[in-house]
Amino acid sequence: MARIVHYLNQFFIGAGGEDAAAQPPSSQAGAVGPGRRLAQLLGDEHEIVATVSCGDDDAAGRPEAIAEIVALIAEHQPDLVVAGPAFTSGRYGLACARVAAGAKAAGLGAVAAMHPDNPGLDEAGGAPVVASGEAARLMGPALDTLSAAVKKLLAGEVLTDADGLVGLAPRRPRMAERTAAERAVDLALTRLGGDRDATEVPLPRFDRVTPAPPIEDLRDATLAILTEGALVPDGNPGALESARATKWLRYSLEGRDELKPGEWRSVHGGFSTVWANEDPHRILPLDAARRLERDGAIGRLYQEYLVTAGNGTSVANARRFGVEWAADLRHSGARAAILTAT
Amino acid sequence: MLIRSIHTVRGVGTGGATEWRDGTLTVSAEEAQALVAAPSLAGVKVSWASPGDAVRIVKVLDVVEPRSKGPGGGGVFPGWLGPSGPRSGRLGGPAVEGPTHVLRGAAVVVAGYLPRAQEAVIDMSGPAAELSPFGSTHNLVIEFTPAPDADWADVDDALRRGSLALAARLAEAALDAPPDEEETVPDPGPVEGLPRIGAVTNLQTQGVFKDVFVRGESFNGQAPALIDPAEIDDGAVVSGQFGHPSLRNPTWVHQNHPIAGALRARHGKDLAFAGVVLSPEPVSASEKARISAAAAQLCAEAGFEAVIVTKEGGGNADADVALKMDALEDLGIAAVGLFAEMAGPDGTGPPIVVAPEKATAMVSTGNYDTRLDLPEMERSLGGEELALLGVPATSAMQLPTAVILASLGCLGGGRLTCAQEA
Repeated sequence: MARIVHYLNQFFIGAGGEDAAAQPPSSQAGAVGPGRRLAQLLGDEHEIVATVSCGDDDAAGRPEAIAEIVALIAEHQPDLVVAGPAFTSGRYGLACARVAAGAKAAGLGAVAAMHPDNPGLDEAGGAPVVASGEAARLMGPALDTLSAAVKKLLAGEVLTDADGLVGLAPRRPRMAERTAAERAVDLALTRLGGDRDATEVPLPRFDRVTPAPPIEDLRDATLAILTEGALVPDGNPGALESARATKWLRYSLEGRDELKPGEWRSVHGGFSTVWANEDPHRILPLDAARRLERDGAIGRLYQEYLVTAGNGTSVANARRFGVEWAADLRHSGARAAILTAT
Repeated sequence: MLIRSIHTVRGVGTGGATEWRDGTLTVSAEEAQALVAAPSLAGVKVSWASPGDAVRIVKVLDVVEPRSKGPGGGGVFPGWLGPSGPRSGRLGGPAVEGPTHVLRGAAVVVAGYLPRAQEAVIDMSGPAAELSPFGSTHNLVIEFTPAPDADWADVDDALRRGSLALAARLAEAALDAPPDEEETVPDPGPVEGLPRIGAVTNLQTQGVFKDVFVRGESFNGQAPALIDPAEIDDGAVVSGQFGHPSLRNPTWVHQNHPIAGALRARHGKDLAFAGVVLSPEPVSASEKARISAAAAQLCAEAGFEAVIVTKEGGGNADADVALKMDALEDLGIAAVGLFAEMAGPDGTGPPIVVAPEKATAMVSTGNYDTRLDLPEMERSLGGEELALLGVPATSAMQLPTAVILASLGCLGGGRLTCAQEA
């Protein structure tokens, strides 16, 4: 009999919603929540021996969380780790993908399930991910797909598109026989001949973001100011990259009412920073935010600002920053954020 | 009709006088340094880096091909070495007679620190050498020390004037030598029964150190304009923008405009080369839309039936290509766009930042994020350190393709592309 450990978030083990999102990793015996239906679909040959869970904020926002989750899973010596389905939930999807990636790196078999637009998809580290619908109301079909994939993986087979495998096939660099200019001329003649399909670049697939509901009363809310404008203390102590950022940084705003020229500097490589450095508020409007705080228009300004450089940043990194920022802010009680872009 | 007298550079060296003899270019370092010298520069040094050398050039700013139409530089780099204004006579300006002498295989390279310049690398050997057009040219590298308290904008201006003057001076050495080859370059124009295909060449215009110059003036704030492509050969477009290294079009690339070259090569055979429209790349979305509509209108008025649109710069420049492609298709003109992909190190991310909505024909010039393992080198030029990684410039290192100068050939000169694995 194959041993399976199932990973779920706080919501699906019944521990609570956002109020329980900070919950640390935990483990319990047997199948829980959607795991029960999954166990039924898997039949007698497979057993969900344990369910490991973690709050979404903790799993997506605390760097050590994934290793702790994987360690809890490994205690049960599973043949396969199953994570999700996470649907379109960003933090949960990221956690499922990273748990699958961590399990794979630890030598365990793993599979995750989520919607193809979930930002976690790029973080699965080569572990297979199968499709689910957009939301938990589609749990039934999601578990049908997932259980079939689990059976196949445990039988030693490889998943294909027909099993709901998602994730883009990688596009690899190569040298063409002719220059891009010569190929462009060919393509222009093809296009003039009426062919509208010929292209070397497939249309990109972008996420759709559903905006959060509006804040009812900003006078009670903590507002955060964030920027991709690469505004950092002079000297760039955190060594933020000017292009192709792989990280984001946080700096305290506590006791600070303004950003003096010369003390702050944009290290962004994508625009002329002369005007930004002349008045750093053009990138991070601390002056205006403090005024709103004093006037009572907002409850409180968040005590730190989060910053990265949005210049040639890969979509995978940008997604990760977004999910981490959301987890960080939610965890700390901020309920609104203004993100300035350059 | 432009005639290019091609002198193929087979060897280079330094000596007491600048001269051209039997395919070898000898440069007087003293004369070269004096040509670049300016009040804003405390010191200038020139040295050669040739294909196959274990040399890494870091902090590269611009690259210029040596060209001349006569003594003193008149006729090349209008607005810098001679009067501004259309030079060919075909669009109403004063004609500049005679062939353009080209030292093919040589380049003047400016390398050193400027604030806000994104660090660009040229390797003369190893895997990056074949990705940049400048891994296979003999490069005369200008290194410099700014004068104390010099304004950086003055340093930048002096380097540009100096490198253009030096490029013209080098080609001048070959004015009286028999060329290896004479290339007759056709003018754009209609050919009975053949489709008229033109080019829209977007030039980056994003402010100081991010602007491209046309006839000596920044193109920032200008309207799209038709230009005689022969003028581009003669240096009407000069780069002054130091953004994304792989997505830059240095001056050398404009002098050898690959799209114009590919269209000229087939002019009268299966197409008619219709001409070139230069367009700025403004920073705001509304300006991008307005300029794109204007550029498409200009193509329609000029009778273009198909247009190849190119960009310069990172993700936001994708919008300048996509909007123009859609604006052209709206007017019934077939549009092809060149895009560099930004698909992440493993090539699974969305390939481009802004895609056209109506147009569909796109050419891939490679992936910005592909990692390259570069070997240790014997010496470096342009600086001792690769600031990007904080390591000695000569050390073995891993870099994204993004850092290799002009490696993603925005103007179509390279063979790098991407394809989905079967």
